[in-house]
Amino acid sequence: MRADVAVIDLRLRRRALLSYVVGMVLYALVIVVLYPQFKGVTSLDQLTKNGSTVAALFGATGSLTSPSGWLDANIYENFLPLIILLITVGYGASCIAGQDEDGTLSLAAILPISRRAVVLQKVGALTVQALLLAIATMGCVLVGRQFDLSFPITHLAGLSLGVALLGVDFGLCAIAVGSITGSRGTALGVTAALAATSYLVSSLAPVIEWIRPARYASLFYWSVGNQQLADGLSLASVGVLISVGALSTLTAVAGFRRLDLH
Amino acid sequence: MTVVVSAEKLSKTFGSHRGVEGLEFTVAEGEIFGFLGPNGSGKSTTIRLLTGLSHPTSGTAKVFGLDPIVDAVEIHRRVGYLPGELALHPRLTGQRHVDFAAKVRDMQDRTFLRELVERFQVDLERPTRTLSKGNRQKIGILLAVMHRPELVILDEPTSGLDPLMQDEFERLMRELVSSGTTVFLSSHELDEVQRVATRVAIIKDGHLVVTDTVEALRRRAPRTIEFSFPRTVDPKHFASIQGVHVVASNGKRITLALRGAVAPVLRVAADLDPLDVVARPADLDELFLTYYRDQSAEEHDDAR
Repeated sequence: MRADVAVIDLRLRRRALLSYVVGMVLYALVIVVLYPQFKGVTSLDQLTKNGSTVAALFGATGSLTSPSGWLDANIYENFLPLIILLITVGYGASCIAGQDEDGTLSLAAILPISRRAVVLQKVGALTVQALLLAIATMGCVLVGRQFDLSFPITHLAGLSLGVALLGVDFGLCAIAVGSITGSRGTALGVTAALAATSYLVSSLAPVIEWIRPARYASLFYWSVGNQQLADGLSLASVGVLISVGALSTLTAVAGFRRLDLH
Repeated sequence: MTVVVSAEKLSKTFGSHRGVEGLEFTVAEGEIFGFLGPNGSGKSTTIRLLTGLSHPTSGTAKVFGLDPIVDAVEIHRRVGYLPGELALHPRLTGQRHVDFAAKVRDMQDRTFLRELVERFQVDLERPTRTLSKGNRQKIGILLAVMHRPELVILDEPTSGLDPLMQDEFERLMRELVSSGTTVFLSSHELDEVQRVATRVAIIKDGHLVVTDTVEALRRRAPRTIEFSFPRTVDPKHFASIQGVHVVASNGKRITLALRGAVAPVLRVAADLDPLDVVARPADLDELFLTYYRDQSAEEHDDAR
């Protein structure tokens, strides 16, 4: 399949994407370099002791001084998902609905390429953006092995895949909502609300009993919220994340086929 | 006659808003079909239905006998389209736009493209946000015709072009047609359409009010007669004559649109001792305005 539409979209976003990658790389490097100074600070674990709800809200549960706890609390359960979602949800809302609103979508829609192919190419561009950030961050975290951060590389690779799929899934949600409604604002609003709810459910599930059953409905739980760095990304998680993505893609294709373009 | 474009009872509504209703027309191979109407009359909506960008509420449109929605890929391969409000990616150069379209269209031979770039002096090197409207429009023209499509659909194509480029564009349209291309030309510029089109459809408030050849329309079009008098004259003297419409009156000067014999007008005018009379041949401008006036009058009468 050709990738001309995806290439144009990536070219349009390359500056923003590069800025996010550089920023995330610098942040991740600072976190891993700081670890030796904090690994012996046992008082840090007091923050999450007894199931602190406030700490859970910021994505911190369990030990903060263990390698996996340090990386989860500072990168993988909050900051990296936030940055990836900013990129993927922003792109998802703009690549169909946004481009239709500003009129540029017709440049591609009038060419001999099916609407299904247009959506699939945009899904490809979305995936590239999420993977790029996840892999760049993973590279920085691997540097952390020189700074006392020990963890199985396969678990880090699984967690990186999980966080990339998390971004892709919410980006696809934005594409789907945008394809159905034709409204960038609606796509952003609906997806941001779903992502925020999903984050809260996954973060608070370990400390609030009545929320615990709902964690299975949270994509954060399946991607980054279930100690994936310590235990690895399960096949079930991969299955859920890919299934949700596939369902969103089908919805986006169906919606875009019905959408009246400007 | 091979029909390239056809519409049958084609309608599109947007919620409670009217788009177009019950459109019926055909466009034959190798003709320039003028699609005339003022802003908001439904021209762009019709074009979006023909190009498959928008879905009809009812009725059917066919392009090359194909359905614009179901067979969009095949139709788009054979069609070039210039939208009325061309939107380009502001940060990309014209060259990027052209390369993108050429790749998707799998264009191997770019000789004609290079000819067009030179002929229209298109600036492809700068980001499109730095270009004037006219220069962006030239890129839109390239994108619409560079692959030598069998059908070109143009929505207000000369918008923003200077007079020299407008002339060049007219020549290009004639050349395309002489090589077998069909042109669907939507515009509110009556002069432009009547200069190049072989047939014309006039749309108002989403309804077609007339479809015919330019020559037939011209024959039916009213002539314009302008009288100058030495004193103030009541235009009612002329308004009561059958086939006459008073277009303008400032007391001593009266302009009439006339359909039918001129003798009754001259008899009335002679009694009023005119100083001068100027008669102009019929043109589509006046016909176009006449259709609007007639409809407005009918609506006014209906309301009463």
